[in-house]
Amino acid sequence: MALKLEISGLKKIYTGAAPGDAVQVFEGIDCIVEKGQFFTLVGPSGCGKTTLLRMIAGLEPITAGNILLNGERLNDCNENIGLVFQEYALFPWRKLLSNIEVGLEIKGVPARERQAEAMTYVEAFGLKGFENRYPKELSGGMKQRVAIARALIANPQVVLMDEPFGSLDSQNRDKMQNFLLKIWGERKDTILFVTHNVDEAVYLSDRIAVMSPRPSKILNIFDINLKHPRDRTSLEANRIRRDILELLDLAE
Amino acid sequence: MKQTYTAVILIALMVIAGNGYSSETLNQPIRMAYLQSDIHHLALWVALEKGIFKENGANVEVKGVFKAGPEIMTAFAAGELDMAYVGEAPSTTAVANKAARAVVVSQVNTEGSALVVAKNTTGINNLSDLRGKTVAVPGHSTVQDFLLRRALRENGIDLKQVNIIVLKPPEMIGALRTGQIDAFIAWEPYPSKADTLSVGRNMATSKEMWPGHPCCVLISDHGFLVGHPEDVKAVVKSHVQATDYIHRNPDEAVKIGVKYTGMDETTVRQAMQNVHYTYELSIQGEKEYVQFLSELGYIHLDDPDKFVDYFINPDILKGILPQ
Amino acid sequence: MIWKRLLPPVVLLLVWQGLSASGIIPAYKLPSPVAVAAGLADLIQTGMPPGHLLHVHIYYSLQRVLWGYALALLTAIPLGLLMGWSHTIRGLIEPLVEMIRPIPPLAWIPIAILWFGIGSKSAAFIIFLGAFFPILLNTISGVHSIDPVLIEAARVLNASRRFIFLKVLVPGAIPSILTGMRIGIGIGWMTLVAAEFTGVKQGYGLGYMIMTARDIQRSDEIIAGMLVIGIIGLGIDACLKTVERQTIKWR
Repeated sequence: MALKLEISGLKKIYTGAAPGDAVQVFEGIDCIVEKGQFFTLVGPSGCGKTTLLRMIAGLEPITAGNILLNGERLNDCNENIGLVFQEYALFPWRKLLSNIEVGLEIKGVPARERQAEAMTYVEAFGLKGFENRYPKELSGGMKQRVAIARALIANPQVVLMDEPFGSLDSQNRDKMQNFLLKIWGERKDTILFVTHNVDEAVYLSDRIAVMSPRPSKILNIFDINLKHPRDRTSLEANRIRRDILELLDLAE
Repeated sequence: MKQTYTAVILIALMVIAGNGYSSETLNQPIRMAYLQSDIHHLALWVALEKGIFKENGANVEVKGVFKAGPEIMTAFAAGELDMAYVGEAPSTTAVANKAARAVVVSQVNTEGSALVVAKNTTGINNLSDLRGKTVAVPGHSTVQDFLLRRALRENGIDLKQVNIIVLKPPEMIGALRTGQIDAFIAWEPYPSKADTLSVGRNMATSKEMWPGHPCCVLISDHGFLVGHPEDVKAVVKSHVQATDYIHRNPDEAVKIGVKYTGMDETTVRQAMQNVHYTYELSIQGEKEYVQFLSELGYIHLDDPDKFVDYFINPDILKGILPQ
Repeated sequence: MIWKRLLPPVVLLLVWQGLSASGIIPAYKLPSPVAVAAGLADLIQTGMPPGHLLHVHIYYSLQRVLWGYALALLTAIPLGLLMGWSHTIRGLIEPLVEMIRPIPPLAWIPIAILWFGIGSKSAAFIIFLGAFFPILLNTISGVHSIDPVLIEAARVLNASRRFIFLKVLVPGAIPSILTGMRIGIGIGWMTLVAAEFTGVKQGYGLGYMIMTARDIQRSDEIIAGMLVIGIIGLGIDACLKTVERQTIKWR
């Protein structure tokens, strides 16, 4: 079966201390991500897009519904799903190279092999010369590149990204977006991307799912058929952006 | 920088003020001390119980009960005591090392200690058997420490061959019982107690080790003697009378001994038999102490004889006893 | 500038010497710095008790501290990691720990002597008790201080529980553990001297040395001994600080 991530009827409820405290995050999410797609979720803060990612990654329990990868149910962490955290989450006591190779270390790959593999990422991601630095010595953009390398080195089938460029300034964000597109163009990973920045979504994605506020559901899924490299200022891009923003406004 | 200097000067001023303060008030009681459960100090207890101090017009207050002689000397150094019953060795050491200014005004007892070994041990019968063994003494520069080393030396035994450790006498019996020490030397009634508990037996009494050796003395702070000679005289007179009382009324004395040591009558009676209560000063014995302490390196005196002259003051006794 | 930091102690010494020399502070209450220095020379050359030299006392005391401290490290760190990691284990052990912790190590001396006899073992036990609790508590807090997102990052990479424990919890807790180790050795060294006051069989140890000086009323040697203890304590702390700095370069 070709790679497919299928989410159907997904519900998430956080129970509170008292009966009336329960929070229903979403009330029925359905979507399908196909192999090699760059699929983005946009929505207002609190709509649960991060929660959704975390459920797919196995970090949050599912209240109801299914998450299927190639027809098999997911309900825990597994090596087929990778996650890039918004806060990078690099291990501060490990040097840069060591952070990248962690995924292979967990798989039991011998040291020399995994170091060599990690070095290819170092070179491809423009991190040469910094292999022996600690995360505290790296800039935000570099840290995010390391985080992405760490997720990709284990070759997961689907890569989840939770607002990875949210804490960067706009210049670095643009650079990182282009960097990500370049990597994706070479590797053709399947990416499920979360952001609240509509511009970013339009610039990067094949498909954009727009979520409503809590308790959220998917309002609409847009297909973006623009070729890369995209022109942020093109009429087509602007039109899509406007449509998405209108949809978000209406939902408020 | 300024703050540091100010702080230092303030501290200096406080120290000066603290030392300058003198608590000179009239009609203060005579602050005395003795050693806990030391049957040698029976005369003091008799004088207290039988009102002998009151008869002689001495207002005595027992300021402290101490665990070992050196601690009493520290209290003297701190100005906390006026007079005390204490071992001659620790008092000699303290005064020779200029830690306290005190003088001996009367003898309290001679003899009265013993070297105790475990009850069932067969291997230790004389001093040379102590080679390689562990012996406990109540403290460095106590009479007992001195007795042991003197006896070992007299028998040609190298001090390095005996492991001498310091324990407080109450702990000695327990340590002997559990085999952590092979022997101890302490003042009565601890040797007798070890015997009645069937934990230990005397290998040698201090009388056997050095007949007539001086043990405890009655000392007075030098400044106190100069400032309150009448008080000192009253105390010494009481001590003489109490000592006579012990010889004349042994049973009554035993009762008092039981009260102050908390031990049973058999133990106290047995202990008292090993002690020679006397007020006669032993100057020769003191000279031996001084010499031995110098050899051990505990004290350094330029003129030992001059020291003994100063340290032992026979005048008060002379004024009380008939010629 | 180093001289700036040395100036206050030097000034203090001069004032002290002045107060002593002028007789405002009598010698028997507090010996002058010069007397203390002479006392230190005595401790080094003649020893207290005479024949027992200072450097041998130091050797014995350090040995006892090392044993007690090593035991504390070997027990408190693993236990602390486990208690930080598992709520169940923590719930079981914590009440016992909280009950024993407030008891001052010195109060254990009579029991220590009953269990281990007079000598180095009971002294090492007292030191062990002093060092154990700061190390334990800091280890637990070290585990708790780890950013939970780091554990999630490991989980998402499909790490086993063993990997998370050894490769995330332990490295993450190390800064706190090192803090606990520094506090622990400080307390251990402090309790050593008092633990040695009550009978050490071989007749060696800094506490024993000071007690003997006290018996013989040599206050100059008592203070010199105290200074030695303080300086050694300082030295040990400096060593650990260096270890700390080298190990946590990533902070």
